[in-house]
Amino acid sequence: MLVVDGLTKLYANATDAIAGGIRDATFTLEAGTFFTLLGPSGCGKTTTLRCIAGLELPDAGVVRLCERVLFDKAGGIAVPMNRRDIGMVFQSYAIWPHMTVFENVAFPLQVSKDVRYDTADVGARVQKALDTVDLGGYGNRPATRLSGGEQQRVALARAIVREPQLLLLDEPLSNLDAHLREEMRIELKRLQRQTGITTVYVTHDQSEALSMSDRIAVIEKGRIVQMDTPEAIYYRPRTAFVAGFVGVTNMVAGTADSPARAGATVAVRLSSGERVLCQAVDDLPAGGGISVSIRPENVRLERRGAGSDAAGGGQSLLHGRVDQASFQGQSRRYDVQVGGWRLMVLADPMTRFAPGDEVTLRLDAANTIALPTNGAAGT
Amino acid sequence: MTTNNDNKAGAPGWLSAFRAHAAEHSTRWIAAVIGLVLAALVLPPVWYLVQGSLVETTVTGAAGDFTFAHYRKLAEGERLAASLVNSVIFALGSAVVALLFGGVLAWVVERTNAPFKILAYLTTIISLGTPYVLYVTAWLFLLGKVGPVNDIYRAITGSNGVLINVHSMSGMVLIEGMLWSPLVFLLLSATLRTSNPEFEEAARMSGASVWDTIRRITVRLALPAVMALVLLVFIRAFEGFEVPALVGLPGRVNVVTTDIFLALKDTVPPDAGRASAFSVVLLGVVAVLLAFYNRISRSAERFHTVTGKGFRARPFDLGRGRWIAGGVIVVNFLFVLVLPNMVLLWASILPFFQAFRWKAVATFTLENYRAVLNSPFYLELVWNTLLLAAASATVVMVLTLFVGWLAARRKPGGWALDQLATMPLIFPGIVLGTAVMQIYLALPIPIYGTLWIILIAYVIRYLPYGMRYSYSGMLQIHRELEEAAGMSGAGNLVILRRIVLPLLAPAVASGWLFIFLLASRVLSLPILLAGPNSQTIAVAMYDMWTNGQGTELAAMGLLWTAIMTAIASAFYFLSRRSGAGVYGN
Repeated sequence: MLVVDGLTKLYANATDAIAGGIRDATFTLEAGTFFTLLGPSGCGKTTTLRCIAGLELPDAGVVRLCERVLFDKAGGIAVPMNRRDIGMVFQSYAIWPHMTVFENVAFPLQVSKDVRYDTADVGARVQKALDTVDLGGYGNRPATRLSGGEQQRVALARAIVREPQLLLLDEPLSNLDAHLREEMRIELKRLQRQTGITTVYVTHDQSEALSMSDRIAVIEKGRIVQMDTPEAIYYRPRTAFVAGFVGVTNMVAGTADSPARAGATVAVRLSSGERVLCQAVDDLPAGGGISVSIRPENVRLERRGAGSDAAGGGQSLLHGRVDQASFQGQSRRYDVQVGGWRLMVLADPMTRFAPGDEVTLRLDAANTIALPTNGAAGT
Repeated sequence: MTTNNDNKAGAPGWLSAFRAHAAEHSTRWIAAVIGLVLAALVLPPVWYLVQGSLVETTVTGAAGDFTFAHYRKLAEGERLAASLVNSVIFALGSAVVALLFGGVLAWVVERTNAPFKILAYLTTIISLGTPYVLYVTAWLFLLGKVGPVNDIYRAITGSNGVLINVHSMSGMVLIEGMLWSPLVFLLLSATLRTSNPEFEEAARMSGASVWDTIRRITVRLALPAVMALVLLVFIRAFEGFEVPALVGLPGRVNVVTTDIFLALKDTVPPDAGRASAFSVVLLGVVAVLLAFYNRISRSAERFHTVTGKGFRARPFDLGRGRWIAGGVIVVNFLFVLVLPNMVLLWASILPFFQAFRWKAVATFTLENYRAVLNSPFYLELVWNTLLLAAASATVVMVLTLFVGWLAARRKPGGWALDQLATMPLIFPGIVLGTAVMQIYLALPIPIYGTLWIILIAYVIRYLPYGMRYSYSGMLQIHRELEEAAGMSGAGNLVILRRIVLPLLAPAVASGWLFIFLLASRVLSLPILLAGPNSQTIAVAMYDMWTNGQGTELAAMGLLWTAIMTAIASAFYFLSRRSGAGVYGN
């Protein structure tokens, strides 16, 4: 179990203004959780990871791993990184070029101070780690003769060879080409399941985060703005930033007719005059500015007048005209002109609407999210 | 060195507690110990120079009363002004000559399709291994009164005069310029090699001719680097000693460095106060010039856009002109390498130096070589020189390995250590020699006149060069390689030993060889510090020349050059691989 409480590490730029870092990060991970820190570059996600690792000294906060305090500012405790017993995979993999694959993976066992491993034990554990990452026969290979994917696997084997209670991964897939990245994503997830190791993963790639994680923390400008399951992050974003950063969405401005409690359905008047039923993720005050988030795949298109033009329960109907249509393989994308704004819609590729077609758009209130415009919904 | 020992020796009682503490705070301990060593090496020379220039000189060498008299005498006498003006003319002239020879050569070799390029590299490698004293004497043979140049002049004109009086300012400038041209070639060709060829290609695609491209793009882009080089050679010539001593002194052309030398060696008793005052003036000038140099070379680096794509500039096709360019390479090869060595070879097989005449052939003898090879004294010289060079290179690289690591990784104290280790750059060799001499005359440590004092001076002198190699080597090591070791459970000392040291080995090795080469040929330090039993090759060569044993010197010099060329080749190929830059010297 990993507990991070009030972790703060701020960097100042030349004029002493705050130039980055993380503020007041707080989360608790149950054993075996695959946890992802997601955010754009410079948001503080890597800083958080490095603070947990002990590579950076936080300004404040507590880091605890399985009842062992690794860092406590108030208590004056800062376990040095080499005593934390945490496995880590670096963005560059950091495979030592002057060693073989075996020597790279055996290193953590050889330098261990707390537990002594004899030669036979080292050999067995390295073999097990290499087998886990499917590099069984690679022990004698010089580190300089490895492909990107193999380097990644060696780095992973080195991180897990001591069977640590925590694994940290710093954008491990960003150096791989697209095809290999897809493959390693599944591989990493399988490995994490198999070993049951608590994992903290840092990435700026939202599809990686969604497909691998048990829980995701979205970070914006040094603050965790939402922490939830992938589904909740995707379908119930709590700020406009989260909605826009995770997945693709349409943002439409509007105002709420009446105040709403979190979880309630609320009618929102769009700036172009239409009314749509939305779900309020947080409490909404009456009359405040609202951003409505509509995922492109959550809009159903119908030819105007073709079906029943009546809205079902919890549904809203909008009318528009197809502006552009483009085939994308898995889906067909339509840009629809609705009143004064455009809506992107991803529909089944079998649908055949042409530019100029009049269409009806059907929205479910459950998937139409009303967010406060100023983005001030805290966590 | 002594502080180092003091610090390491610990009472056994608290040794284990010390060890536990040291493991926990190993970086701080390393920084503290190295910092003490560096401070003990680097700071006293500055202090003693300033103090020495401000107190009355006493016969015993102890400090007398406070006085401004040395500076007042300097300012009143015409010597300072005249020497300073001479130094400036000498340095400026040398820089221009070196740039002309080395710069044109670098462009021809790196950017054109001229033939014979290999000769330029050969010249550079061998000149790296040649002691300056030997090089200078070769040129004195060549340009001297009975040397071939004046000899031919007399044969043509039938007069009894000389074409060139080598013991003059122009002789000094010519020889010093030649001396530095291989370095200019080495540094400038590195600049030309790493600059982005796309700038030139873009100019060509925009319709510029070869000439327009060179004039408006290549030269403009290289200008900051060239200016930095001119300044570097200027500084080195300004503080240079060999040429002013061997060429200038006999012709009574004095510069600041020879004035310091005369105050210490030609005055009885040695006028340490005067030498110190001169030294402080020189130190100030060099410090200002170096600050300028740093600014210029920083702006030069901005043009170093390394694309990382591994592109190499396509050489300009000079057409028929390539044979002219090839001629430039051959002429340089002849002037810098063949002629000096030919004249040395000629001198080495004669009983006394004579002009190139057929009748001289009859007196050919191997006596000089026999004398050199049979003499235990020369053997001791070789041993002393190699021992000093190897020991100073080792000490410097060990120290700078730690400092480079602490500085490059921004560990606590790293910045301060970097400053300390780089500071000796402002010491001209002769100034550092003066300072170290005074310190150990005043201290009750009996190492004056032994190899130890020379070793200390060498270590101080070459610290900045070691730093250059270690630091830039460290910057090439991705810091995640170390962080990964830390996360694997390794402490700082284990990381240093098992990760940093093996990865830094090529840079450390080329730094070691570079310092070894410099230390094996330096004259300005041991000439002030060497005792009768701690002579080095360079000092012996200087003595032989001034004693008129020129032919024996030629024989010894050629043998020595052969050894050093082998070591210089090793350095050259290592440094091309590790890609570290050099300050020059």
